[in-house]
Amino acid sequence: MNIDMQIKGLNFYYGDKHHVLQNINLEIYKNTVTALIGPSGCGKTTLLRCFNRMHDLYPGNRYEGEIIFQGRNILSRETDLIDLRSRIGMVFQKPTPFPMTIFDNVAYGLRLRGIRKKSILSEKVEQALKHSAIWDEVKDKLHQSAYALSGGQQQRLVIARALAVEPEALLFDEPTSALDPISTAKIEELIDGLKENVTIIIVTHNLQQAARISEWTGFLMLGELVEFDRTEKIFTVPKEKLTEDYVTGRFG
Amino acid sequence: MERETRRKLQSAVALVLSTLAALFGLFWLVFILGSVLVHGMRALSPGFFLHDPTPAGIPGGGMRNAFVGQLLITFFATLIGVPVGILGGTFLAEYARGKRLAHYVSVLADIMVTVPTIVVGTFIYAVMVKPMGHFSGWAGAVALAVIMIPVVLRTTENMLTLVPWTLREAAFALGAPYYKVIIQVVYRGAITGIFTGVLLSIARVAGETAPLLFTSFNNTFFSGNMNGPMASLTVTIFQYAMGPYDDWHAQAWAAALVITFAILVVTVVGRMVIKLRYGKK
Repeated sequence: MNIDMQIKGLNFYYGDKHHVLQNINLEIYKNTVTALIGPSGCGKTTLLRCFNRMHDLYPGNRYEGEIIFQGRNILSRETDLIDLRSRIGMVFQKPTPFPMTIFDNVAYGLRLRGIRKKSILSEKVEQALKHSAIWDEVKDKLHQSAYALSGGQQQRLVIARALAVEPEALLFDEPTSALDPISTAKIEELIDGLKENVTIIIVTHNLQQAARISEWTGFLMLGELVEFDRTEKIFTVPKEKLTEDYVTGRFG
Repeated sequence: MERETRRKLQSAVALVLSTLAALFGLFWLVFILGSVLVHGMRALSPGFFLHDPTPAGIPGGGMRNAFVGQLLITFFATLIGVPVGILGGTFLAEYARGKRLAHYVSVLADIMVTVPTIVVGTFIYAVMVKPMGHFSGWAGAVALAVIMIPVVLRTTENMLTLVPWTLREAAFALGAPYYKVIIQVVYRGAITGIFTGVLLSIARVAGETAPLLFTSFNNTFFSGNMNGPMASLTVTIFQYAMGPYDDWHAQAWAAALVITFAILVVTVVGRMVIKLRYGKK
């Protein structure tokens, strides 16, 4: 199995005082789904947001250690964030369609990369929407506002938008916690199909979801990675007592 | 049981009092608009818009000079005030978000909104009219722009703040630089609110007299020269209403009707845009 991303000795600080992530080490494997689980405030979202350097938007945040992605440390100062973020896409908890048409939403990242030709845009937009299993629902209203879609459709649209630029990895931050069970099932199905082309890291509060869709699971607590292993091991024969207590619902 | 009756009674009293207060306010509004309409219609004719004023005391003539002057001054005030206000609001809401500077500027802008407009007029008189040596349309436009800027700035800031932060993060996550995030995503989300703020600020300054008295002053002749004194509807209304001639009074009413109607149209259009955008969902 190929390693896609290697996290070595990662520490993360909010300002000077808050040491949020402590010495995280793990490997993300290519074309797999890795789930990050743990109680609220354990740092799983913070960890996820290190992978596309989202923390750089806010002053006073500091990383230590290395995240090796495609042979390079993405935490280094030389990293081109615009390039990094086009290789590693992100989907948020609440759907975030832009205030524009469905087509323009999906084309947004492509246009950012300087693609202007209508035929290429149309083709890539259609492809992305098909990959996100939403093409049939929106193909007749590509030029209507994205806000007219339901929450579940918006989330799939946003996934299409992230896919359109053909990223190598996709980060999901609790993508279904604002959705109903049917929409959730559709997104899970979608994620399962996506891993053929992209590596997926997903933060979730929903343990069943982690068990259903991921091959690898990392359990975090108080900013530390307690255990990282194959999902079936984490959920059946965890090595750590803490992990066992958490996945069996004794706390959290 | 008795308690319930008392509550119902209290509710009825509150209802009657608030209805009366509403009717009281509404009465004066209708009364004012009604008299403006009744008196204003009398002097309204095509000539009122097409002719310049006749010499004082001689009947006839119109207010063409004041209409053109008002439009020019308001137009240039908008041209100066709106970009400054929007860019300032953008700076506060985006680049200086959460910083102390942004807070101080916001408070300052709020104070500026409540400054009596005649103070703005005298200020521009001191910094523009006096050094230039004469009244001018430019001075009038700048005075109105100064009144517009804090209104547009605060509206822009508020509307941008209303755009959810996650939307910006989503755009950043696609690799967009900040200026593109603002122009392509944030402005789109806030455009109707900003547009409404701009319209309301135009409506606000279009009815101002005090700041123009000291700046563009007045001109009985037709003038398209922004560098000289210029007539405006509001100052002309003031002058005519204070004057001794019945003909002037009638024309002042007509001008009041036109300006009220114009401001009403601008305001209604502003509200309609909000409804169209936000009402449908």
